[in-house]
Amino acid sequence: MNVPARLRDLRWAGVQLSGVATVAMLVVAVAVNTALQPNFWGGYALTSNFATFVPLVAIAIGQTVVVLSGGLDLSLGAQVTLASVVAVQVVDGRLDRLPLAAAAALGVGMACGALNGLVVALLRLQPIVATFATSFVFSGLALVVLPTPGGSVPIEVTTAYRDSVLGVPVALLAIVGLALLWRVLRGHRVLRHVYAVGGDAEAAYASLVPVTRTRVWAYVLGGLFAALSALAVLANTGSGDPFVGNELTLASVAAVVLGGTALAGGRGGAGGSILGAMVLALVTNIVFFADVPTTYRQLVNGAVIILALALAGIPALQKRRPAA
Amino acid sequence: MSTALLEMTGVRKRYGGVQALDGASLTAVRGEVHALLGPNGSGKSTLDKTLAGTVVPDSGEIRIDGAVARIGGPRDAHALGVAAVYQQLSIVGDLTVTQNVVLGLEPARRWGFLDHRAARDRAGAALERFAAAFSGRLPLDRPAGSLGPGELQIVEVAKALARGPRILVLDEATASLHKEQVEVLFEVVGELRAAGVLVLFTSHRLDEVFALCDRATVLRNGRTAGTVELADTDEAELVGLMVGDVPHRAPRRAPATTGAPAPTEAFVGAGPEARPGAEAEAEAVPGAEARAGAEARPGAEAVPGARLEVRGLTTERLRDVGFTARAGEVLGLGGLQGQGQSELLLALFGAARVSAGEALLDGRPLPLTSPVRAARAGVALVPGDRGRQGMFATRPIQENLSLASMRRRARAGLALGAAAERSAARSMVERLRIKLGSLADPVSTLSGGNQQKVVIGKWLLDRPRVVLLDDPTKGVDVAAKEEIYAIVRGLADDGAVVILNSSDNRELAELSDRVLVLFEGAVVEELSGAAITEGRLVAGALRLAPGESL
Repeated sequence: MNVPARLRDLRWAGVQLSGVATVAMLVVAVAVNTALQPNFWGGYALTSNFATFVPLVAIAIGQTVVVLSGGLDLSLGAQVTLASVVAVQVVDGRLDRLPLAAAAALGVGMACGALNGLVVALLRLQPIVATFATSFVFSGLALVVLPTPGGSVPIEVTTAYRDSVLGVPVALLAIVGLALLWRVLRGHRVLRHVYAVGGDAEAAYASLVPVTRTRVWAYVLGGLFAALSALAVLANTGSGDPFVGNELTLASVAAVVLGGTALAGGRGGAGGSILGAMVLALVTNIVFFADVPTTYRQLVNGAVIILALALAGIPALQKRRPAA
Repeated sequence: MSTALLEMTGVRKRYGGVQALDGASLTAVRGEVHALLGPNGSGKSTLDKTLAGTVVPDSGEIRIDGAVARIGGPRDAHALGVAAVYQQLSIVGDLTVTQNVVLGLEPARRWGFLDHRAARDRAGAALERFAAAFSGRLPLDRPAGSLGPGELQIVEVAKALARGPRILVLDEATASLHKEQVEVLFEVVGELRAAGVLVLFTSHRLDEVFALCDRATVLRNGRTAGTVELADTDEAELVGLMVGDVPHRAPRRAPATTGAPAPTEAFVGAGPEARPGAEAEAEAVPGAEARAGAEARPGAEAVPGARLEVRGLTTERLRDVGFTARAGEVLGLGGLQGQGQSELLLALFGAARVSAGEALLDGRPLPLTSPVRAARAGVALVPGDRGRQGMFATRPIQENLSLASMRRRARAGLALGAAAERSAARSMVERLRIKLGSLADPVSTLSGGNQQKVVIGKWLLDRPRVVLLDDPTKGVDVAAKEEIYAIVRGLADDGAVVILNSSDNRELAELSDRVLVLFEGAVVEELSGAAITEGRLVAGALRLAPGESL
């Protein structure tokens, strides 16, 4: 309860990128990539690029739901890790266990989300602190489930993931599928309430919105998308890794900001976050093909976010100038 | 008369140190428009909210149709057929008008998926009556945040109507409406009455109450003072009920004599050399020099003896406010709450968008564009919401005390001497008798009254020429109140102009030399000296006073 109100008081929290800015950044990123990466538009490069985008896109949508509700989930990356190691242990290289493994991953993600939601909405701990703490629980559990990288995903899964249907990469279809899932959720009452609670929790409460339940749902949906992200990670890498989600958490927040969703909640949507995730992934690509050492990757990512926020802040600055 | 639809008895609610409701009761029947009246702080809104479920009372009983109603939240109230129009509207600005009207009760198909068409139909039906207010085209798909205040108010009303209530609470539902819109609302209320709905109506416009309502319950200090049939009651009787039999006290302070009193030692210290960062135009020392400066400006002649002059001040919520105040004068701002008093203080502090008008301080123009400039010119604001605007609750007391005057002590505009900061803070603690453990404790550890003293004290260190106080004793206990009164008098005695907005008429009567009564953003009456009584203040607030000036 405390944090959303506080965040709202900070000016940067209300800052929002316009859709135009997000698309412009994507265009620039694609252009630079085209210049730097040989055969960027070739079938193989395209397929492998999209294959690496999917996990980030999925987790970014999950983070979007939580941020829209006025919260923040710093444990999403750890949820990806936990869901992926559980799934890889369940599937154990056998194709017939695939549905079970997928169900296990989704169950783990939603359970993690429910725990976060209860801690934030019922115990009213600050989301940043609460989810930072639960992230250690989830990471710790992941290490118990799979102490060292290993386990194997059925070869059919990894092959299919890098395949294409009628010239369209399967990974791109997965992104389209995630976007469609978001569309479906937007038509549901829960997501409407998420927007209302994130926009103005007090007004929503007075308007008969079940505020606590809605907050819990936001984190559960965040966990659901984290689990989908975990499945994409497995399909992409073919094996389990108890550290795989570490970098995804902050990347998800960055994608949300780049995508134009206000950190204060209530405004924005997953469409922008999907584009934001692609911008981030392309920036990572650019850094790679420009022969920048991997050590600098995070630095560049951080710089991109700050630049984006600065761009978004310009209109706000002009509005703030007092009348002459 | 049929049995009561609504019976509220012995309702109590305490907020911190303030007993907002102290055993209030109300009985109303089906098909009645029942007014809820009372002066500021009498508990009208709180009583409304206990019925609507946004406030849970500490004790008391609510019966609807004779059965005890347990209202633990707005959803319980809705289940019992209660809908409310809140004074602080319950609109989510980022959602569209349609989404707001159906919020919480969205029509859905299977599995909770929204039925957008049904939602639009429902919102359209609810808003149709008010179509004229939107010049015929309903803004169903526009974000609510893009609407004007009157339009928002209508959406809020439509939202409550769409819930099909048995009991409808209208708390200042007409405040931002135009006359034609008010008429439409009255028509709707008339139809609801005919359909057997109970409407609880709160308004600061007494003429509306007489035009619309059947009976009125008057609250005073959180208790019910009485219920009257409006047909056999006149305005004087209502004011009598609101004010009670309190003897009309004359203000304790004698009105300040004309001419600026001799500046005290502390004030002389506020000269140019002590204000390295101040702008030249703010450097005037009170007295002849300032007046000479004013004479040099054609068209801006200062009224002799006036320290602060305000002319034609207009903002979104203020209409053409003008007044003068002498040095050493306590100028009260009266009227019902939310009639522009806080806005006036904010405007003088440069924190509101001023569209017209000007202010002169000691004959020189006072910049109304930013709080920093206002503070440099010698204006101090003690805000109403002290928790959010007045202090840094988790920072040490010493830091909070020294913040506003830091610039004055900074050596070469930079270094802050810890020792100087500490001694300044300590002398202020002694002067204000702030009860604290250590200067290093966070402000949040203090009681409400002592917190407020810190907020005021931070400005005293800055030796202001104009002190703006926005309800300084709200939620403060009696003993701390007296001490704050002493501080206010001390500020005036030091030659400052003190402008005091207070929701407590007794406080205004006790402290003010003059009181400006505001109504809907304009000064409607000025009371001074012995004329400042609670009765005159309440009557003025409701625009019943003889000699009403518009």
